Amino acid sequence: MAGAATPGSAASQQKTPAKCRARCGTHSHNRVRNTEGRRKREGGMSKNVQSQVKGLNRRTLFAGTVSLLAMPSVLHSAHAATPVINVGVIMPLSGANAQFGINSRNGIELVADEINAAGGIKELGGAKINLIVADSTSTPTTAGTVAQRLITQNDVVAILGAFASSLTIAISEVTERQDVPLLTMSFADQITGRGYKNIFQVVAKASVIGKAQLDYTAAIAQAAGAKIDKIAIMYEDTAYGTAQAGGLRAGAKAANIEIVMDDAYPLGITDATPLINKLRTSGAQAVFPVSYLNDSLLIIRTMRQQRITIPAVGGAAGYVIPDFEKGLGEFAENVLSIAPANYDLAPGLTERFRKRFGYFMVHEALEHAVCLEVLVQAIEKAKSAKAQDVVATLHGAKFTHGWTRAMPGGTVEFDQTGLNTLSVPLMVQWRNKELVTVWPKDIAKSEAKWQS
Amino acid sequence: MSVLQAILDGLLVGGVYAVISIGLTLVYGVMGIVNFAQGEFLTIGMFVAWFAWAFLGLDPVLAAPLSFGVAFAIGWIVQGQLIARVLKAPSVAQIFLTVGILIVIENGSLLLFGSQFRSVTTVYQTMSLRLGPLFISVPYLIAFAMSLACGTALWWFMQSSWFGRAMRATAQNPVAAQLVGIDTARMYKIAYALGVGLTAFGGAIILPYVTVFPSVGGQFVVLMFTVVVLGGLGSVAGAVAGGLAVGVIQSLSSLVFPIQLQNLVLFIVFILVLAIRPQGLVGASR
Repeated sequence: MAGAATPGSAASQQKTPAKCRARCGTHSHNRVRNTEGRRKREGGMSKNVQSQVKGLNRRTLFAGTVSLLAMPSVLHSAHAATPVINVGVIMPLSGANAQFGINSRNGIELVADEINAAGGIKELGGAKINLIVADSTSTPTTAGTVAQRLITQNDVVAILGAFASSLTIAISEVTERQDVPLLTMSFADQITGRGYKNIFQVVAKASVIGKAQLDYTAAIAQAAGAKIDKIAIMYEDTAYGTAQAGGLRAGAKAANIEIVMDDAYPLGITDATPLINKLRTSGAQAVFPVSYLNDSLLIIRTMRQQRITIPAVGGAAGYVIPDFEKGLGEFAENVLSIAPANYDLAPGLTERFRKRFGYFMVHEALEHAVCLEVLVQAIEKAKSAKAQDVVATLHGAKFTHGWTRAMPGGTVEFDQTGLNTLSVPLMVQWRNKELVTVWPKDIAKSEAKWQS
Repeated sequence: MSVLQAILDGLLVGGVYAVISIGLTLVYGVMGIVNFAQGEFLTIGMFVAWFAWAFLGLDPVLAAPLSFGVAFAIGWIVQGQLIARVLKAPSVAQIFLTVGILIVIENGSLLLFGSQFRSVTTVYQTMSLRLGPLFISVPYLIAFAMSLACGTALWWFMQSSWFGRAMRATAQNPVAAQLVGIDTARMYKIAYALGVGLTAFGGAIILPYVTVFPSVGGQFVVLMFTVVVLGGLGSVAGAVAGGLAVGVIQSLSSLVFPIQLQNLVLFIVFILVLAIRPQGLVGASR
């Protein structure tokens, strides 16, 4: 905005002196006095610089200086009122994964507002949580840069983010170097598989999720009296899809199921027809697409066009958000998907999200909410907002109340690699615009339907 | 059979590639500007069609003329106020300007509409026709038919209407055109507005199978450039040939190679064509 205002005011400045000079001679006096005044204020300024300054817009300079002087005091007074804990939130708020980033941010904001409203962090004198939200876009390099900035400029106690595994991995390089904890719900195995000590993954790993995707499907089919021995896998080729496809393969091998199609495709694909053509001729009895929203819509629509009626079992991401149902309408009904968590397991908590944002609490919002909950509990336990104290507490403790109850298993506990060992994936199915947990049997809210 | 299916799918998709790329080639052909913001006009067309669907209940295919109109109006203003200033400027300035427009449109739509994915639901979205063992996707077929109609209309306009001939005259020799009384500045406006309007039209007709979000144009812009350069930059017939070729190459390559390598195969063919026929498939030199 400042940039837009400057050219206009500069133009008017140039006009005014000329007009005034014609009418009266006083302006030249003014100018001299002002220049002297400035010389007094700013000490030894070289002639050269002065002439440049004169060429600039004096009013702008003055306004800039005043606001620069005023700004720190404004910030300072805000700090003085209540202690504030800065928490960094890095999400893809633009680009291909933006919707997931916004969902995640919504979940985190809900918990932050609830905690602040309930009196903040009690062990730190009621300190309020101050979220510093940054857009990673959907590119890993930006994610890394933004993380660096949050740590050095905003003094954050921890970073939460960033939905897509490839972004989280880029951020983790920075947080590991700077000794700041990073809490995430990204799936990829590399996240906790590299021996990093400052990273915490609240969900099961992609390979575990992939294996569960296959195992649960086989179990559901069996319960319905069907048997599957030929399957197709298709996955987007970033960290998330690749890791989960690995789990699917391992699961198929263990269950002695033949993989008749195993194709990676680039994220941002604009035409799924070649994939579905291949699927049709493959003879698979079930298909496991691991994809984000755009590709998941393409895949299911093209399957329906070609009247392929085998069940599609989605791999979370695109299959478990309201937009999936919006994009497919009745064709979404009964589509199965694996998910790391689901809102119907803790409606008491998740309905608060629906009330505020107008749609059901999607899993990435839920798990990121759990990330913040766990972080706050760790700060309370450590009685400190020093990054290293928080990391130490995160590694040792069990987190049992608040939003952690919304996770399958109800508790969060990290092992030495930072993985939450208590999280198990679950299978959900679309029923009348809602996602219903249908497997494992002991936590299922409804019986699974084995049909496309 | 799968080869036939692949060729059929490739042709259907390629027809759409052709129509979204014609605008780019038209703008270059008439005024020598490489419009990097072309993909963003595709996004605009998709948004217009989406809003028409969401609030007026209009099918995206029927909303396509509306998309065309909106983009035409925006293009008219953009050409008159911005592009006209760099027509004689060094090409670097032209690149900066059109890339700047790209950024403004992309972030503007992010600001206005947010970043969520928007898709439409139509009755024919999940339908297909059977032709023996072949499947013809209905939304692809509709988009292809619309592209064909749109391309024919443009061809008629360029060949037979006074404006079309004046535009071609302007492209060939602006000074001579001006001497015989053609308002070249106006021709440039029409060419640019028409060019981006066509792309927006293409955006609307693909909406039944593509999700719209602010950066969706970026997914298509590389394809658009490939299409027009492959066909011969500046040649409308080349854009049609290039579009169909790109669609078929992409589709056929996925029979042999992993789908991941779809665009790699495309670019290898692209480089080969450029090495053998630098002027493009339909060798219209400007």
